[in-house]
Amino acid sequence: MERAGSIMNGRFLSTITPVGLGILGVLVANFPVSVLGGLVSPPLFVFMPLYFWGMVRPDLMTPFWAFALGIFQDFLSGGPPGVWAAAFVAAYFLIDRQRDMLAGLSGIGAIAGFAVSALSACITAYVIVGFYYWHLPPVAPLLVELAMTVLFYIPAVFVIGVIHRRVVGPYRSDF
Amino acid sequence: MANGTWRIARNRSGAQLPIALLAALAIALILIGKAQNTLFDRARATVTDWAAPAFQVARAPLVGLDRWMGSIGEFFTVYRENLRLKDENARLRQWRNAAIVLDNRVRRYQLLLRAVPDPALSSVMARVIGRSNQPFLQTMILDAGTTQGIKPGQAVIDARGMIGRIYLTGHHTSWVILLTDLNSRIPVSIEPGNVQAIMAGDNTGAPTLDLLSQNVTLKAGAQVISSGDGGLLPPGLAIGTVVADPSGGFRVVLLADSASSEDVNVVDFKLKSEQPPAPSPNQLPATAAGLPPAAPPASPLPVTPVANGAAVPVTPPAAVQIHSTAPPPAPPKPQAHGTPATPTQDGTAVDNGNE
Repeated sequence: MERAGSIMNGRFLSTITPVGLGILGVLVANFPVSVLGGLVSPPLFVFMPLYFWGMVRPDLMTPFWAFALGIFQDFLSGGPPGVWAAAFVAAYFLIDRQRDMLAGLSGIGAIAGFAVSALSACITAYVIVGFYYWHLPPVAPLLVELAMTVLFYIPAVFVIGVIHRRVVGPYRSDF
Repeated sequence: MANGTWRIARNRSGAQLPIALLAALAIALILIGKAQNTLFDRARATVTDWAAPAFQVARAPLVGLDRWMGSIGEFFTVYRENLRLKDENARLRQWRNAAIVLDNRVRRYQLLLRAVPDPALSSVMARVIGRSNQPFLQTMILDAGTTQGIKPGQAVIDARGMIGRIYLTGHHTSWVILLTDLNSRIPVSIEPGNVQAIMAGDNTGAPTLDLLSQNVTLKAGAQVISSGDGGLLPPGLAIGTVVADPSGGFRVVLLADSASSEDVNVVDFKLKSEQPPAPSPNQLPATAAGLPPAAPPASPLPVTPVANGAAVPVTPPAAVQIHSTAPPPAPPKPQAHGTPATPTQDGTAVDNGNE
């Protein structure tokens, strides 16, 4: 009985961890206090758990959660509603289609796979904002954000990997 | 990287929404947001009000660190900086005296011409508690909201010039859309020449200028001030200087630095609604018909005590009787809230309480 309760708690933790880290990423990235004084755009922290668990645990990071995290990002960033939601859904579509290939990458290739996925989200957001305002915004801030996101993903993927092995991974029952 | 070792858990749940449906939902949300651009605003303002103490707490060590780092660098230049500031202060005092003389002269001319006086500007000082530099949005958050009389549309200035304008207000916080933001478009005037233009932000440090007239040529270094067209912003706020854009056209280098501003003023500007002139006795129907005007209601004349203790009535001077039908325009009154401020020559509001 005690063992069953422990397994239930573990499953609950493994279920909420990917989305919880996504929400944490949105909060951190949109907290309006920056160490760098707001000189550069903050990384898309939310995209890191979205990409990782959207690739290896799509049962936990579903398209609905990609959409919901995008709405949350839109809400806190102050931008027009729906832009990042659509961007994350588009990126999730790419991840979903290329899951086997992306999950097989390692080393620099894994970073490149993440960069391509993040680029697809940024391009989608850029095009939508261009249509939204009927005026193309400058590319540089978006490229800076993309570069920061990829740069921060390198240390973040180790942390996410540890969390996946210790919290999310051991409780998988799908294999 | 360990991605090669990840095994993929296949999606077994059939209850998840398909990606196409979610994409359609996102596009529908974008269209709704375009039609009603205040979709999230109230909730955002509520969340910001709620989180404002956390912003201030998180910002305090960063501000302290920034000051500490800045003080190390200033330690080596403090003597030279002191001399420079003394020189600048002396020059500014001369300009201040010139501005006061010119301001008084303009007021006298306005009285002589019976011109509509410039509306009084009141301002509320607020502290910057957050900055957001997103790829598609550049904003800052202030610690003053509707409780302090802040309203959307009001101009935000610092000691150097205009920073942006309020676009969202909560009870105790407000969001400022910076002049550099993609959504910022304000009417400006370029001096000399009083050239009218629209200054549009494009998320770069220098907003672009869209001239309203095609037959005008601008020179680099010309001053850009707010024109006041539309009655939303006060005219004459200092904004920046014109520079040539290498890719064509002109841009504005802003005087204010939104990245370093800590305390800002939110300028309350209200155009007074035009009232019809008060009816004078000469315009009454009885006067128009050739009848003598009705006697004014009996009011006791002010009395002046004299040396022997008696009092004599005081007769109004002739000049007052002559102009009694059309009084000169009254000087502007200070607004209800905030500290009254006087616009100076460079367009910034000077807090009268600090004079």
